Amino acid sequence: MASTFFRTIQTHPFLLLHPTAVFRRKNGVLRCTMRSTQTQTPTQEKQQSPQIKFSPQNPNKTFYEIPKGYEAIIGIETHVQLSTLTKAFCGCPCNYGSQPNTSICPVCMGLPGALPVLNSKVIEFAVKLGLALNCKLSLNSKFDRKQYFYPDLPKGYQISQFDMPIATGGYIDLDLPVEFGGGHRRFGITRVHMEEDAGKLLHSENGDYSQEITSPTLQYVFCSFMLIFRGSMVDLNRAGVPLLEIVSEPDMRNGMEAAEYAAELQRLVRYLGVSNGNMQEGSLRCDVNVSIRPVEQEKFGTKVEIKNLNSFSAVNRAIDFEISRQVLLHSQGQGDQIVQETRLWEEGSQETFTMRKKEGLADYRYFPEPDLPEVILTKEYVNSIRNTLPELPEMKRRRYEKMDLSMQDVLYLANDINVADYFDATIARGADAKLVANWIMGDIAAYMKNEKLSINDVKLKPDELAKLIASIKSGTISGKIGKEILFELLAKGGTVKGLIDEKDLVQIVDPVEIGKMVDKVLSDNLKQLEQYRGGKTKLQGFFTGQVMKISKGKASPGLLNKILLEKLNAKN
Amino acid sequence: MASRTSLMLRGLSPYYCCCCFFNLSSRSSSSSSKLFFLGKNSNPTIRYCSTKATGGASSLPPPDVTHLAKTARISLAPNEVEEFAPKIQQVIDWFGQLQVVDLDSVEPAIRAESLHENAREDIPETFENREAIRTSVPSYDDPYIKVPKVLNKE
Repeated sequence: MASTFFRTIQTHPFLLLHPTAVFRRKNGVLRCTMRSTQTQTPTQEKQQSPQIKFSPQNPNKTFYEIPKGYEAIIGIETHVQLSTLTKAFCGCPCNYGSQPNTSICPVCMGLPGALPVLNSKVIEFAVKLGLALNCKLSLNSKFDRKQYFYPDLPKGYQISQFDMPIATGGYIDLDLPVEFGGGHRRFGITRVHMEEDAGKLLHSENGDYSQEITSPTLQYVFCSFMLIFRGSMVDLNRAGVPLLEIVSEPDMRNGMEAAEYAAELQRLVRYLGVSNGNMQEGSLRCDVNVSIRPVEQEKFGTKVEIKNLNSFSAVNRAIDFEISRQVLLHSQGQGDQIVQETRLWEEGSQETFTMRKKEGLADYRYFPEPDLPEVILTKEYVNSIRNTLPELPEMKRRRYEKMDLSMQDVLYLANDINVADYFDATIARGADAKLVANWIMGDIAAYMKNEKLSINDVKLKPDELAKLIASIKSGTISGKIGKEILFELLAKGGTVKGLIDEKDLVQIVDPVEIGKMVDKVLSDNLKQLEQYRGGKTKLQGFFTGQVMKISKGKASPGLLNKILLEKLNAKN
Repeated sequence: MASRTSLMLRGLSPYYCCCCFFNLSSRSSSSSSKLFFLGKNSNPTIRYCSTKATGGASSLPPPDVTHLAKTARISLAPNEVEEFAPKIQQVIDWFGQLQVVDLDSVEPAIRAESLHENAREDIPETFENREAIRTSVPSYDDPYIKVPKVLNKE
């Protein structure tokens, strides 16, 4: 039944704005590209915590190498949705996922007579981000109207900053992942400015993500709905939500660098607490500009914009695809076919497609927003914000590097500010950095992944972890026992000392006692002893296991080994 | 939306500039300066400016009324375009009087007024009568606002 409807839809022109379709049937699953107002269920890899390593869809894919003789120039425009409580210019709450058109008022609806009033938190967050990006802050800046018509833009203009943004001329430092060769990069930041978001348009040609509808009944319902209703639907809950737009210098040279830049921005906004920085939810949106040129050429090639990127790996793959597309055209002498346009990244086919060709530059008729006063920052204000900045990811990485940790460790620990704080708290209590890193990245990370928890929810607190490490180091308990009680500590909390006492876990380090146990095991297993002495030395493991069993795992492994070997070889 | 008169002339739509002129005239009642009022569908009533509108005729380029109407999404018949062009030109010329001012020794200001920044706290406030807003939308299809299909941005 669904297929009949699908065929009907194919003949309906309005639904097929461009050939690669709003609807695509793939593997019996109907996929439609649209923006949803309710909580979304993205099909791409769901990210619980910040991604440090994005794995391409095909894990066997090697790092894309740009064909010889060509260079790619990439710039990224990022929109960061701020996590303020209210919108930029009115007191409507910013609630993610609420009923459509419930967080509205005359100001954000653009009703006549309404006037915008700036949210002071927006300035605070903008200054924070500007400082973190090493920008020069404009002590005087203003808002402008960017005028265009679109159904999700109630006022017919967007309040933005055009020629006097709040921050300019900065840079961001990042480390490339170890598995891609590592290395350090610094990318320039052209500007950061404040603006407001538009509403949400359902069934727009600019799909934000693909939603899979697997149930045939639902496919039927959805298709028929789309047939009957020949228009679009608008939800203005998001209209007026504050955004910070970050424009980078065209410093990136390939998809991987671009994706890492985006990941570092995410890390940064989360560190600062100004945004969730979630690409899937739309609180971090990236549009990339890609051009290529022959290596000797000074002039930049034609720039192509790519939209609809919903994850860091999509950023990576889309750029690599676009580079290869442009290089192919250029190398075949068809460089003039590369035109300035906007293309959409199609996750399903892993290709970019033309959205629309730019007919010259859009005329936004910018002029200063008459309803808003100048934004004036004092040096004192900026300094007070500067003093509240946390240690930024770059600084943390440099500090961790000096601790004799591997680059892999450094990148992992500095990725999530909560993990970094946990790590710092643990080593502050005297635990060895490398040991702490191992515990966090190993067993604790595995636990967090299984239980889908963040490190803040884990019941084992830094001071107890430090005590655990100390107990093992001092020999009070063996490493093996330590691992065993770790699980209980993570899940239920409690103290290390408490558990040791409760379960009588103290390691046996008295040679006499161990010796007695070894004697008992050997006398109980004469047959195996004979076999051992006959040459079957592998049986040592058997004896070790037996002693561990009667000692309830408490025998010190090192000491046990020594004494066991002595006794095994003694009667020879 | 309320607006003040600090507008850049290029971006003016005919309807927009007559709104501001209407404000001006109501405020400056004492000087009895008469202004050029232009309503969208009404017969134009001509009131004359007390100062010479054409003195110091602007070196500003004439308005491309067709383009202006297009960007403002106002449909104009060809005769209306012809009719409005000189009238808009007069509005521009009236502002254009400012061109004679010597600004060489003046520091550019961002804003005309020197109001201190008035930002508000980040505290949520729900608008009471949201229902009235929703019911006033002509094509409301609960819970969405229904709009015609739009192909191109801008």
